Formats: sequence, C-alpha cells, structure tokens
Amino acid sequence: MTFGCPPGGHCVTCGDDATAMRVLRVDDGRGLALCSDPEGTHRTVEIELVGPVGRGDDVLVHAGVALVRL
Amino acid sequence: MKFVDEFRDAELGQALAGEILAAVEPGREYKVMEVCGGHTHSIYKYGIDDLLPANVELVHGPGCPVCVIPMGRVDDAIAVAHEAGVIFTCFGDMLRVPGSDGTLLDAKAAGADVRIVYSPLDALRIAKAEPGREVVFLAIGFETTAPSTALTLKRARAEGVPNFSVICNHVTILPPIRALLESPDLRLDGFIGPGHVATIVGARPFGFIPARYGKPLVVAGFEPLDILQALLMILRQLRDGRCEVENQYARVVPHEGNLRALEVLSEVFELRPHFEWRGLGFISQSALRLSDAYAGLDAERRFSMPGVRVADPKACQCGEVLKGVIKPFECKVFGTACTPEHAIGTCMVSPEGACAAYYNYGRLARERELV
Repeated sequence: MTFGCPPGGHCVTCGDDATAMRVLRVDDGRGLALCSDPEGTHRTVEIELVGPVGRGDDVLVHAGVALVRL
Repeated sequence: MKFVDEFRDAELGQALAGEILAAVEPGREYKVMEVCGGHTHSIYKYGIDDLLPANVELVHGPGCPVCVIPMGRVDDAIAVAHEAGVIFTCFGDMLRVPGSDGTLLDAKAAGADVRIVYSPLDALRIAKAEPGREVVFLAIGFETTAPSTALTLKRARAEGVPNFSVICNHVTILPPIRALLESPDLRLDGFIGPGHVATIVGARPFGFIPARYGKPLVVAGFEPLDILQALLMILRQLRDGRCEVENQYARVVPHEGNLRALEVLSEVFELRPHFEWRGLGFISQSALRLSDAYAGLDAERRFSMPGVRVADPKACQCGEVLKGVIKPFECKVFGTACTPEHAIGTCMVSPEGACAAYYNYGRLARERELV
C-alpha cells in the first residue's frame, strides 16, 4: 500500500477518481456543503462549480470539490 | 445512490465480453490505450483484461499525475520542505516519489514538517490555523484536480491568507496524447478517454484525435462495465469504419464540460510555455502555472528552488512504460530492484501507475510465465 493512501492502495486524488456524495447541509455564504459518501464518511465540499444544490442532491466529488451534479 | 453496484454486475460483464469477442476480426491485432491511471487501476482490480480476446491489448497511458513528475520537480519540492518555518502539504502519493536524493518522506524523517492533505482546502485551513508559519501546497493532477487548487487560491486571495502558497505541477491531458500520436514507435488503434478530466473539459476537445489522427476515442467511466462498454464502442467503430469521439460516461460527462470550472481555471492559471514530463520529455503548453494576478501565492516566486533538471535512473524504464512501448514486467528492474516498497520509478510509486497496478494485482508471476 502506498503511504497515505486508503487500504486497497487506491489514491482517489491521483487516480482521476471521484466519489458520489450526498449533500447533507449547505452553507451558501461560504460556498460549502457538508456531504456524506456511501460509507457514511462526512466531508466539507466546495460547491461553487456545480451551482445551487440542496439537501439530498448527489454530487461527484474530487479533492474536496464537487465537479458535477448527478 | 445507484452509481456503483449496477456497473459491477458479473453477468452483464460476461455479456459485454461476448459482444467484444463478436466485434473483433480474427487475425487482426488491436491496441487500445487507456489514457487515465484510474482506468489502469480498475482494469487490474477487476481483471478486465482477462475477459478480452487474445488479440485485444490494452496499453497503459501517461495519465497518472504522480508518474509523470520529473525528478527535478521533486527536488524543488524537497528543498522548499526543508526551509525553516515551512509546513509542506501534499497528497499522499507524492510522499514516496524519489527525487535525486530521497523523498518527501525522507525529508519528513529528517525533520521537515511534511503533512498529507486530502484537498488543497485542507492546506489552506492549516495556513489559517498557523499564521506564523509558511504553508506550501504541492499541487499535482490533471484538469480534474486543477479546479480544486484554483478555487483554493481564489479563497486564499479573497480571505487574505498571506502565509499560503502553491507549487503548481498541474498538467493537461491533451498535449501528451498528441505527443504519443506523433511518436514513431507507437501504434494504437484507439483510446479510452479520461472520464473525470472530461467532466471539466468535456468530450469536445478530444475531437482532434479522430479528425487529425484517425483514431476513435470513447470517454469512459471507471467501473468495470464502463470500461468494457467503452472498449466495445471503440471496436465497433473500427469494425464499421467509423472514427469519432463518443461519450460512454454520459451519466456524468457533459459534452461541453463544466464551463464554470473552465472559467475559474483560466482566471487562476496560465499555460507554461513548456513542461518536462517523465519519460516523454518537454512538451509545449502541457502544464499550468499561476497567472500574474495570483503571483503573490506562487511558491515558485516566493522560495528559492534548485530548478535543476535531473535525468531518470538508468535502470528505470518508466518512459517506455508511460508510452506503452513496453509492458511493466518487461522492465529490467520490475519486481526485483523496483517494488512498491522500494520504488525506483514513479510508475511503481503510485497505485495508479501501470507498474504498481501490475505488481499489486498479481501480474508479476503470470506475465513472466508468458514471456
């Protein structure tokens, strides 16, 4: 396993990989959203690139940024 | 969310493998390059190449951002990490990439404050929490990752975080594809296009590949059925005499890309006149640097760096692997002197590197038997 990468040896950042996450809460003022991945891990995500999103929307996230709305 | 399980269905995979078999002409050899390291990883993780006819070969391209960083740039990063008072932040993969005299992990062991972050936003948070220290983020990645750095730089400027800066190693995917197509020692029949790069740039910019070079390209997702379907689409184009860009990953990739992201990229970055790629040499207009408006956040202007070009180790054949000229197991040091634990070349360092993918998924013994 490469140091610093998750078990299984796959680095989501370097692998042009992205994760589908569900929006839990939106902070419009700061352009951020709290999102959850399918395993239930929560992460703060930048949402400037995908336009307005709301609770329950799904977004594709790479390196802390939502790239596209699903 | 229904984005994963449906695309790993074994029965559908077998059905697609049957269609692929039906689409190929016996006696004709097919070479298809998957440009992206994420595809390489999926192909070996799910054993996709085992489902393919013997005359269909997948060639691994240069789409791993760690693998293409030359040693000199790693040396520059290590020099900054050793500066007094610096907190050096980077993605996990970069820690073990060898420079000419060690890695960032070695620098950390020697006392440098090197920290792993998941996103450049995490690095900015560290800078705000540690106003008395200089926080440097080592930015790598293709167009998928560059917007994350760009938005962080915009935020740093808007919030006035003076102790944050970025060493920019972002690269763009189209120039190396063009360089590969111009390479005389490489024969390819088509490309599996990078799905997540295309969420940003869209499918349209790949149009020159069929138009000018006569090779089909299918933008693909990263699940096993995505890759099999994309391959089938390429093989059908070849069978039918068509040559175009198709979008297998339409559930995610808009044809025009993410226009807001492209706008942010053009505001924050500009193209470097040329950039050195490991194994491919200097490629013009293939990488990004901070635009003048963001010069104050450019670590290359803030810190003194060696900036010396360093040749790759002689035993290392990453260049040929990145160009798809040789398979990883054909490298002289693969699996012996060069392993994921003690990597000589970058293709073995990153899990997305073709060598690491071969090694980690048990290709070492089997491929040797075939040789």
